[in-house]
This record gives sequence, C-alpha cells and structure tokens, in this order.
Amino acid sequence: MYIDPHIHCSSRTTDDYERMAEAGIVAVIEPAFWLGQPRSNAGSYHDYFSSLVGFERFRAAQFGIKHYCTIGLNAKEANNERLAEEVLDMLPLFLAKENVVAVGEIGFDDMTAAEERALRVQLDLAKELELPVMIHTPHRNKKRGTYRSMDIIEEHGVAPHMVVIDHNNEETAKEVLDRGYWAAFTIYPKTKMGNQRMVEIVKQYGSDRIIVDSSADWGISDPLAVTKTANLMLSQGIAEQDVQLTCYKNAIDAYNQSGQFNEADWLNPTPIDEQKLFEGNSVLRGQRPDTNTPQEDEIIS
Amino acid sequence: MLFENRDKTPPTPAKLLRGWLEPIVADAPLAWLDHQIAAVESGDESALYLAFGFAPRKVGKQPLEPSALQLDLAQEARSGWDPSRWSVGQAARTLLLLSIPSEDPAPYFARLEKLFNAAELNESVALFQALPLLPHPELLVPRAIDGLRTNVKFIFAAIAHHNPFPEENFSEAAWNQMVLKALFIGAELDPMIGIDRRVNPALAEMLIDYAHERRAAARPIPPELWRMVGPFADATALEDMAALFAAGTEVEQAAIALALAASATDEADEILRTKPQLASQLDQGKLTWSGVCAAAYAN
Repeated sequence: MYIDPHIHCSSRTTDDYERMAEAGIVAVIEPAFWLGQPRSNAGSYHDYFSSLVGFERFRAAQFGIKHYCTIGLNAKEANNERLAEEVLDMLPLFLAKENVVAVGEIGFDDMTAAEERALRVQLDLAKELELPVMIHTPHRNKKRGTYRSMDIIEEHGVAPHMVVIDHNNEETAKEVLDRGYWAAFTIYPKTKMGNQRMVEIVKQYGSDRIIVDSSADWGISDPLAVTKTANLMLSQGIAEQDVQLTCYKNAIDAYNQSGQFNEADWLNPTPIDEQKLFEGNSVLRGQRPDTNTPQEDEIIS
Repeated sequence: MLFENRDKTPPTPAKLLRGWLEPIVADAPLAWLDHQIAAVESGDESALYLAFGFAPRKVGKQPLEPSALQLDLAQEARSGWDPSRWSVGQAARTLLLLSIPSEDPAPYFARLEKLFNAAELNESVALFQALPLLPHPELLVPRAIDGLRTNVKFIFAAIAHHNPFPEENFSEAAWNQMVLKALFIGAELDPMIGIDRRVNPALAEMLIDYAHERRAAARPIPPELWRMVGPFADATALEDMAALFAAGTEVEQAAIALALAASATDEADEILRTKPQLASQLDQGKLTWSGVCAAAYAN
C-alpha cells in the first residue's frame, strides 16, 4: 500500500490511474500548480481549483484511488500581479473544502518580490486556517531558494512540522531535516531526483520525516515512481518499515495535520454522503482496474 | 399530547434543522455554527464561503437520520421536502444557505452562484438538495438545469430524486430532458417527485422513439421507460410492448403490464389478456412501479 503525495493527476490518463491502483497506490495528493502555459485570466484558475476539489476527485475514485489536493497560487504565476491578486482573493472559496489537505504548492521560482509577497500572504492564510503547507523549491538556484523559503516560514511563525518542503536533493536534504521540516523528494526522470539516488538518501538519513513522491505531470514523468522506488529500496536491503514510512506513513502524518488525510478514509470508507446519497448504487459503474502490470525498467534516472 | 400546545403555523425548515442538530452536535461546534450563521446573516461573505466548506468538519459527517415524526414535520414545513438521506454536515450547510440575506435578489443570487461555481462534490449535493428550501426559486432554475448536465450520478440524483424543485419549477422541455437523461445514465425514475403528474405526449413520443431504436439494435430497454409511455402508447409503442410482454424478462413483463393498464385502449387490453396471470396480479395491486424500479436496479 502506497501513497503518492504529490502528483498532477489532471494531466494523466485513466490508464495511469489503472496502473497506479494496480501497483498499490491507494491515495494521492494533487497540488495546485501551473498548466505548463500561463493562465490568461483568473477564471481559468477558478475552474482548475474546481476540478481539483470536484471532478478529478470523482475521476480518481472511479479507479479506486482516494484523491486529495492542495490549493494555492504557484510561484510562477505570482509574477502576473493582476492575476495573482484575484487568485489570492479566491483562495477562501477553496481552502476550506473537504479534500484540501494543505496550502500549496507555493514558494519560489525566480525569487522575485512578487513571488515573495504571494508566499507570505499564503503562509498567513495557512496559519489562520491551521492547514499544513506544501513548499515547491525552485529548479534554479535551489539551495538558496530552499533556505530563503524556510527563513520566511520561520518569520511568519509557521511551525516546521506543519510544512513539507518538496523537490529536495542531496544538497538541501540535511538543512531541511535539521531545521525540523518534512523533506519530500520527487522521483522524476532526468531532473530532480532519481530512485537509485533516493535509496542512497534513505541509507544516509533514515526514514524520519522523509517522503517520496512522483510529481508526475504533463512532462515525461512516471506515475509509478513511488512504487518503483519502494521496490528498489526493498531490493537493496532497506528495511520494510523504512519503506513504509517514506512511501506511505510519513505523508499521512504530515498531511493529516489538516484533519483531512486519514488512513480510515481509504481503509474503511465510511458509508457517508456519496454512497448514502446514492442508495447503494456504486459510482464505479463497472470499471475495474486493468490487471496488466507493465514490465518496464524499474530504475528512474 | 405532543401537538396540543403547538403553534398553528408550522416551524420553518431552518428552525427544524437547527432543532435536529441540537441533540446530535456537541456544544462547541454548535456554538461555532450559530456564530457563523449570525455572521452570514449580517452579510459577511467570507464567513459564508469558509463556513460552508468547514461545516461538516466542525459538526460531523454522519447521517442525519431524521425520525418518522421529524420527516412529517419536514413535509408540513415544506411539502415534498425529504431530508431522510441528509447528513449532519449537509444540514449545517443548508442552515448557512438559509441565512444569506435574500430581500435583495441580486446580491443574494450572486453569493449562491459563487458557492455553486466553486462547489466540490458533496457541496454540490448539499446545494442542489437545498433548492426547494431557498427563496427566489425562479432565479435558481437555470442552475438546476445546468446541474443535470453532469455525468456524476449522485449529483444528478441530488436534483432529480426526492426533490420537489423540478416538478414545481421546470418547463416541460427541461422536465423531459431530465427524464430522458436519467434513462441514459441509469438513474431511477421512481424517486422523481411528480413523475406521474408530469407525463406528457412530447415526452412519450421521445421515449417511444428511443425504445424502438433500442429494440431495433437488440439492446435492453430500461423497464421504467414504459411508465411514461403507457398513457400515450401509439401503434409503434404497442407493437414494441406486445413483443416485450411476450418474451421479456420478468421485470420487463411487469413494467409492460403496468403500462398497458395505464393505456386504457382496447388494443392494450387485448395484449394484457394474453397473460392472464399477470393481469390478475395487476388487479390485485401486486405490481407497482416502485417494485419495477427496485427490481430493475437490483445489484
């Protein structure tokens, strides 16, 4: 049983959902991010947020996967200041939704003043609503961006245990862990982190507060990255308990600080709302995950 | 006597809902809810949006499970209102909706629209099931019709089932599309309030075409369809009905028997007499549309 606590499902196909369910992924978190191209207006953001809390959650459920999300204005688009203002005003409409487990992914891209302002506004919101925060760390100038994000978080009095710093690498891991944050690693082909490297990280730092995710999106990426990494860890002698923590349990402990990411949701789905309202009729409508397990290279470099 | 000293005017739905929450919800979350209701009443928009989202988390998500007496009171307060499938959180959300100032329709409607536009799945259900309780129903008709365009069956059902709003407010065209779409997505007709009162020739005509097309393609026809067709069965329909009556499944034959009885033409009577056993079951009241619905959607 695994969790992918950072994957952009709305860019993935139903085949991916089937394969993920087959590979043991029981729950996912989809952080609000950009679409690969800038949004031209706030309305398009509104519809994106709606699909994260609504249709995508339904679509995932049809393939047996519990879907959660994080809501936030991403760093890149903070630089379109008119758009940014409208989106920040829109956040109260979405942050209180039932499947929203954090404010995110927020943080830095270019490390501009506009990005910093949006980050600060959203940290205050997270504090007010008692929600965890998911921090995106920049691709360029990563080390400085990561440290700067943590400095700002601390200035705002947000406790490190409420914050997941994502997309870490060998350079940032130690500082993030030492300062008390959750450290997430994105297994993403060619950039970010490979899974063989991830094995080494766990060997070095152990499993405390370390989280593995795929971030899979519209780029060349692998929605099975969490499972493949778990398999690789097991095959290289990492204890089962550490694999379970990094690929499942730590994500629950981090994000259930929202009160919205509880194991019971997928282990014993309570017969509330959806089922009850539909009087026993399943919303699955006959769909079953495919049983073909793809035989692919298990190493993601 | 329980009712001896009761006021002549029935309590409002809001009053009922608030009363039902009293014994179920703990003091602190109930105080939270009352505080939010007051804020919404005073026109605080941000409080409305946040409280609407947070409500189930604060007061609970368990089923409301109103008693038979409470359901009677609900009917008295608002005829056709059936909260038997509601959750506690949904009741709290409805109380918040009922607190939005509504004397001036434009800002009231704008707030509702914002909630509808940003709603997640359970919120959509709560909003649509609250429709019959909300003021200015004429403003809400397009939103209800739009909601039926969903492919998410339980959202469709929130509008179409156990909800008096469509019967009271939909045009014939909108009503007919709702029935037709229900058949396409496999949603039951029996729970639609007013299903027999709003039969009409245009709907029957569409359904006869649809049934004929299904029969030509050797595909099953939803048995409940004949409920709308019976009163208006023409020659084509009667021919399809006769064929299904002779060779259909048990539930199909039961549906045809009921439809033939509603047709009240000599031809229909003749077809019905080909199966005396079913005709007698019909006479004894053993066949019902609810039974057909339950059998058709079993499993």
